[in-house]
Amino acid sequence: MSKIYGYGENQVKALDHASFSIEKGEFVLIVGSSGSGKSTLLNMIGLLDRPTNGKVFIDGVDTTKLTENKISSFRNKKLGFIFQFSNLLTDLTVLENVLLPRQIGGTNGSAEKDARDLLKTVGLEPQLNKRANKISGGQAQRVAIARGLINNPSIVLADEPTGNLDSVTSDNVVQLMKSMAKKLHQTFIIVTHEPEHFGDVDKIITIKDGKAFEGSEQTKKMEVIA
Amino acid sequence: MDYRLRLAKRMLFNKKGSLIGAVLAVTIGILVIHVNFVIFQGLFDAIVRDISNYRNGDILVTDEADYIDKSDLALVNWFERIPFVQGATPRLSSTAEINMTKNGKLIEETRVPVVGVDPLRDVKASTAHETVAEGTYVLNRNSVVLGNNVATDLGNAQVGDSLKMLIVDRTGEDQIRRFTVAGIVKSPGGQGLDYSVVMHIDTLRDMMGREGETGSFMVKLNDPTKAIEVKEFFLAAYPNDDFIAETIEESAEEQLAGFRSGIAMINLIGYFGMMSSAFAIVTIQMMLVNGKTREIGVMRSIGAKRKDILIIFIFQGMIIGAIGAGVGTAAGLGYTIYAKETNMSFMNSIPLEVNYNWEKIIQTALLSFSLAIIASLYPSYRATKLLPVEAMRTV
Repeated sequence: MSKIYGYGENQVKALDHASFSIEKGEFVLIVGSSGSGKSTLLNMIGLLDRPTNGKVFIDGVDTTKLTENKISSFRNKKLGFIFQFSNLLTDLTVLENVLLPRQIGGTNGSAEKDARDLLKTVGLEPQLNKRANKISGGQAQRVAIARGLINNPSIVLADEPTGNLDSVTSDNVVQLMKSMAKKLHQTFIIVTHEPEHFGDVDKIITIKDGKAFEGSEQTKKMEVIA
Repeated sequence: MDYRLRLAKRMLFNKKGSLIGAVLAVTIGILVIHVNFVIFQGLFDAIVRDISNYRNGDILVTDEADYIDKSDLALVNWFERIPFVQGATPRLSSTAEINMTKNGKLIEETRVPVVGVDPLRDVKASTAHETVAEGTYVLNRNSVVLGNNVATDLGNAQVGDSLKMLIVDRTGEDQIRRFTVAGIVKSPGGQGLDYSVVMHIDTLRDMMGREGETGSFMVKLNDPTKAIEVKEFFLAAYPNDDFIAETIEESAEEQLAGFRSGIAMINLIGYFGMMSSAFAIVTIQMMLVNGKTREIGVMRSIGAKRKDILIIFIFQGMIIGAIGAGVGTAAGLGYTIYAKETNMSFMNSIPLEVNYNWEKIIQTALLSFSLAIIASLYPSYRATKLLPVEAMRTV
């Protein structure tokens, strides 16, 4: 897929024929330097933006053909989001934030029990009735992880989830994501410029100048030399 | 509770300044309507009340031929048999020239309205006798009661003073008689008989040469809502006479027509005030939407549809409208109760006739509630237009 912003002389190619596939259950990192197009790529996969050319297939569905309402439902049911700044709704409590995707999807059945279980898993059971702006950054990011997982999505997308955290908290959040991925057998696609924090992962996709290739940049250099 | 309503409520209540501002806008809009209604409708109703009490009653009976020649007794008895009728009284009107000597100086007044009343029956159908400020109401055939303004024009005439009155009779002859001032009437707001001279109807008949004739009958009802019913019953009872029977709305129409259009204009200004409050809501809600851009982006990214965002902000409009309508109506009612209990008047003028018009109160509350919702449509629509990616860049 390609993504071009602007027109004429002001055109910027954020993604240039980037093409790759990710298998179900893989823990994938998207790496690259600042401005390389990592977040743009994540926005395309997360259906938050549409590619200028090309297609995004998720679970065999050509998402570029979906209507806006169907995209919203698709995002709600198939995708989970974890943002750099956690992006919790400060008007709601921790529990209400985690419940929100379920309520948006209209599948409230066992929502509260599931949310409580998830918050227990991420170690935030005692905080569940606190307002989202009354907890620490690390706790907020763990709430965001719980919110991203509440609908049991096929893919969890995380944009610099540790970018705003100190190293100890970062490690905790990374371990939590890895353990959740293993436990729930979900695909995690994480944009980061700190791949070293994540240790062993199933796949690394590097973005450079809008182009995507599998493996780290170092691997790519070694391939070229060979 | 629907999550959209909960979010709308939380977002609004966590921005107390905006909430108070928006609610105040609705409240002031409603209050303007209530204050306008209390003052201007109160003034209108007060004028109707005074015309009814002092001059026309709830039903005014006249004759196409200017004078009624049926006996007072027959007509009064006919009316007073009806349970809704409180009293009926004959009245006769003319104009006179009056002069009196005050402190050695002769003072003359021309074209003074004269009202002839039946002292015994008048007190049942009119409250003119309650406006006596000095002396007594019409006592006998040799005394008159002066309206306060006439007394002033006659050099501050007082009870016990003597005056000379000239009335031209039906044949064109001058009829001159001397009377004693028995009392002076003064009504709040001057809507009573302040500009007239009141005398015994038989004396006036005698001076006008119209024995047994009456200018009009003033009929006062216990229940003014039955006016049309009584009027139609009367006209049906006298099909061969040339009676004209009019309810207060009909008989006072000429005096009230201008006032009615004035009230319509004032109400229009009130509704413009309400529209201004709607613009205030638009501005405040736009600020709320701008302040929640990131949250809107987050909600969209986790699956909220444009419709859900629209509903959240329309719910906010409904909350603002409901609280504003409640507070505004309570404040308006408070003002109305105060005006009613204190018999509000301005500069000792006519006391307002304050009524609780529940239909208007509910209509105003519903209108402002609806306006708040309508005002929230544009900000809500703008909120739905935010793209998740763009919205989340606002951190």
